[in-house]
Amino acid sequence: MNTPSKFIRPIRFYFALFTGTGLILLATMFWSFYSEGNRLQQTVNQQAYEEAKKELVIAINNTLISTQNQLQKLAEWDEVHQQYHDPSYYFFWHDERLKESQYFRSYYDELELFTKDGKLLMPASPKPKIEGPHHRLPGTITSKEPKVVLRDNQEAHLNVYAPVYKRDSDEILGYVGVSLDIFPAILMHNQFFYLDKTSLKFFGNNDIPPSQLINHIKFSPVSNPVNNYLWDLMKRFIIELILTLFVIGLILPIVFKEFIQTPLTQLSEYLQRLRATPHKKQKPPKKTFFIKEFEELKNTIYQYHHNLQKTQLELDEQNLIVWEQARRDPLTNIYNRRAFDEAWNEVIINFQNEPIPTAFMLFDCDFFKALNDTYGHEVGDEVIRASATTIQQTLPMESPAYRIGGDEFAVIIQHRTLEEIQDIAQHCLNALSQYPYHTLGIKEKLPFSVGISSIASTLSDNLTALPRQADIAMYKAKQSHHSKIQVYNHVLENESSALVSNQILNRVVNSIHTGKNIQMHFQPIVASDMSDCYYEALIRINNNQELIYPDKIFAVVERRRLEVELDRQVIFTTLFLLEQRKIPKGTGVSINISGKTLLQPDLIELFAPFITWLHDYKIVIEVTENFLIDHIEYAQKVLNQLRHQGFLIALDDFGSGYSSIRYLAHMPVDIIKFDMSLIKALKSDEKTRKIILATAEMIRGVGFELVMEGIEDEEMLEQAKSAGATYVQGYLFGKPKAEFSKPCNN
Amino acid sequence: MHKNLTAICLGIGLLLSHSISFADTVTHLITPLNLNAEADYQLGQKDKPAILILHGFLTTNQFHTIRSTVQAFHDAGYSTLAPTLTLNINQRKQSVKCNSVHTHTLENDVTEITEWINWLEQQGHKQIVLVGHSSGSLELIAQLAQNHDPKIKLAIFTSLFYLSGPELGISQADFDYATEALKNHNNQPHKYSFLFCKNNYYATADSFLSYQTLNRQNVLNYLKALTIPNYTIMGSADKRYKSVGLNWLDELKESGTNLIVIEGANHFFSSEYEFDLQDRLIEITNHYFN
Repeated sequence: MNTPSKFIRPIRFYFALFTGTGLILLATMFWSFYSEGNRLQQTVNQQAYEEAKKELVIAINNTLISTQNQLQKLAEWDEVHQQYHDPSYYFFWHDERLKESQYFRSYYDELELFTKDGKLLMPASPKPKIEGPHHRLPGTITSKEPKVVLRDNQEAHLNVYAPVYKRDSDEILGYVGVSLDIFPAILMHNQFFYLDKTSLKFFGNNDIPPSQLINHIKFSPVSNPVNNYLWDLMKRFIIELILTLFVIGLILPIVFKEFIQTPLTQLSEYLQRLRATPHKKQKPPKKTFFIKEFEELKNTIYQYHHNLQKTQLELDEQNLIVWEQARRDPLTNIYNRRAFDEAWNEVIINFQNEPIPTAFMLFDCDFFKALNDTYGHEVGDEVIRASATTIQQTLPMESPAYRIGGDEFAVIIQHRTLEEIQDIAQHCLNALSQYPYHTLGIKEKLPFSVGISSIASTLSDNLTALPRQADIAMYKAKQSHHSKIQVYNHVLENESSALVSNQILNRVVNSIHTGKNIQMHFQPIVASDMSDCYYEALIRINNNQELIYPDKIFAVVERRRLEVELDRQVIFTTLFLLEQRKIPKGTGVSINISGKTLLQPDLIELFAPFITWLHDYKIVIEVTENFLIDHIEYAQKVLNQLRHQGFLIALDDFGSGYSSIRYLAHMPVDIIKFDMSLIKALKSDEKTRKIILATAEMIRGVGFELVMEGIEDEEMLEQAKSAGATYVQGYLFGKPKAEFSKPCNN
Repeated sequence: MHKNLTAICLGIGLLLSHSISFADTVTHLITPLNLNAEADYQLGQKDKPAILILHGFLTTNQFHTIRSTVQAFHDAGYSTLAPTLTLNINQRKQSVKCNSVHTHTLENDVTEITEWINWLEQQGHKQIVLVGHSSGSLELIAQLAQNHDPKIKLAIFTSLFYLSGPELGISQADFDYATEALKNHNNQPHKYSFLFCKNNYYATADSFLSYQTLNRQNVLNYLKALTIPNYTIMGSADKRYKSVGLNWLDELKESGTNLIVIEGANHFFSSEYEFDLQDRLIEITNHYFN
């Protein structure tokens, strides 16, 4: 999954985001923790308050009940009855005896005996020991119900009365009444677990029943040491945690910056420096990082880049070697055709931006093929090597020589005048003529021809025409025995059209450039047993109801060096006919291509559209023997590649030139086509016929198909068959024509 | 036949005259004092005398020595009456403390004893035996000294001592104070030292002085003057000998009472000596009435 660009942020952003989020979450958690604790503590306190209140209510009731019980016992006390019998000594009993008796409680503020009418048994004591605010009991009791007496700034008192019954009777003798200080009474009679005894405060200024006393008491529960301790512990924990987080919050950015951000930033900057200047040696960050992995990463990057540079250097060196090897002719060690194409393209491109005087020079050995056949290929190679070296050494330093054909060398010269260029060409020819070729065993003189074309420094000049113009000029030079250096001019162009009319010339050139008026004729090539047949495509050009035949077409093409353009039109037209399904299915077509076309770098691509037709058609590419011998290595490479794709290669016009039988074994071909002259020679002397037959047998013996051309009658057919021809071609089976006749049986 | 009829009539009379039952608490108005007094009364065999058993100083008839004595006589078939002296408290039920207001006098006590003897006689008892413990014995002696009742056939005194004398802690100052107060008609209670009440016996002068008449010599004189058979049972381990001296036993013996000393017994004949006391009491009584 790709990360959206909006999420790609600096590490500081994410650090701040995560840290902030973390702190907010922790703060929320702490606040929740604190709130829960606080709530729990309040709940516990409230619970404790309620428990304390319960305790207090129970204590008040206990005190009341206890007091009532005490009074009841007191009412049964003999001495109380003694007083009712004879109150003469009441004061002494009340003031002395009573206080010392077990019935009197320390928290009793006042205890009196009343008559059954509610009046004091005896009036006030002659020596009252309890006076003032402690004198709570009334002189006459109106209600016997217990009562709490509340007065501002005084102790709260509980007044309780109990009847004194006559012994063994229900008759009431009187009442015993007590007024007690509630506070000590409550404390004495009760145990408290929740109530803070010291917190009791009574308030009010009235008389109330004991049941309402709880509403007139301020109290608080005892502090719960465990609860308080836990709460204090929790608060201290939270505060310590917050302080710790605060300290961490202060330290973390520093630590993060020192431990993470700075190393990452420096490593990132280091990597960016490496990316910006990958070929420059960059020192790693000087800073030593705390984190081992960063330190290792820094060293690893440095080491990796160092190794990468080293590898790159080695690769560059290897590439340079490969580049050189790819652009060097292995035979002569000068630049090859690929190097020439690249250099020429560069010249064309640069010319668009900066037009400069440019000249094109072609060198060609006049009789190289004859030399090759005469002295052998090895000697021919030595001649090529020596010629190349001589030309290269004579040329100016800035103008290398390119071997663009077997014995053909091209030179591109810029910033020179035409005179200077001609001088250079002359120097080269002089050097070549002075080379001691006799050391190679060659006795004849080896003449070289030079064709030159040049343009001035204006864009209007047709730079791309220079090679063809130089070719034309060189063709002219070859025809001359004295002027071996020819400079292209329009006169030469016109001379090339001398063999044909201007009208035909124009029509041929126009057709080759536009493809218009080209008409393909097909002559059948039939298997000797008539089981199979295919057609050789032969070009014709319509010219106002007339056809221009190959003799005139090739006259123009060769003069104007239009072989490649012509072949392309033939290929396109044949392909078009295939696509139009004009060619009978199950047959095939044989296409002739020139040596120059075979040298084109896009040859394979040129025939690629035919691959889909190979299933139903036999596609044969016919090449000439001379070309194969001149470029045997290159020819093997490209033709074998085509053969692997399914194409068949035919060697055309075998026997028309200096056919060398020793090359046959290495020929990258499937079919050998005997030239018509050989067929006709079968009728000559026996010796020639035997040689031809032996050659045919030899060819068949190594597995080649053998096509014999020029079969015009049955006698020739029989001779061809007897010579071992597997296929035959000639007027006997059909002349070349636009329509397809099918002489075979398939 | 006549005897039998008389006995039946007496029994019916007893049942009808008082609504009492066996082991019942009876209340009796002490008319001269206008006080109701209480006593535990248990009817025994009709042919046996009634035993009046009197408690000691400031206690009640629930004192353990008294209760065990009552139980012993009852078990032996005797009717028993164990009154609680009112000490001027209507239907007194509890022991009186030293610091209670003491207004009661020896004369009141004698009156109450006489009233109870009369009450027994009213119940039909023809023969009465008096048994006292400690100061109860002294009060019985005082009653016997002042009254002569032919129905009283026997008197048994236990832990018999006397109530006045410096050896008992009665100070001359208290005596003088009380005498002077009485002379001045000042009857306000005052704290005296009396018997075990050390400086906290809160009594009127009249009350205090009344008991001072029961001094050593008077007690011996009263004993000598007794005309009915009487026995005195003493514990040899009574701590009061430290105050009165062991010669008190000799003096008792010389007084003519039949002195019996139970070896090892204390003033209250506590624990196993309680049975010794009971055995002696029953032996003496049976000796006279079987």
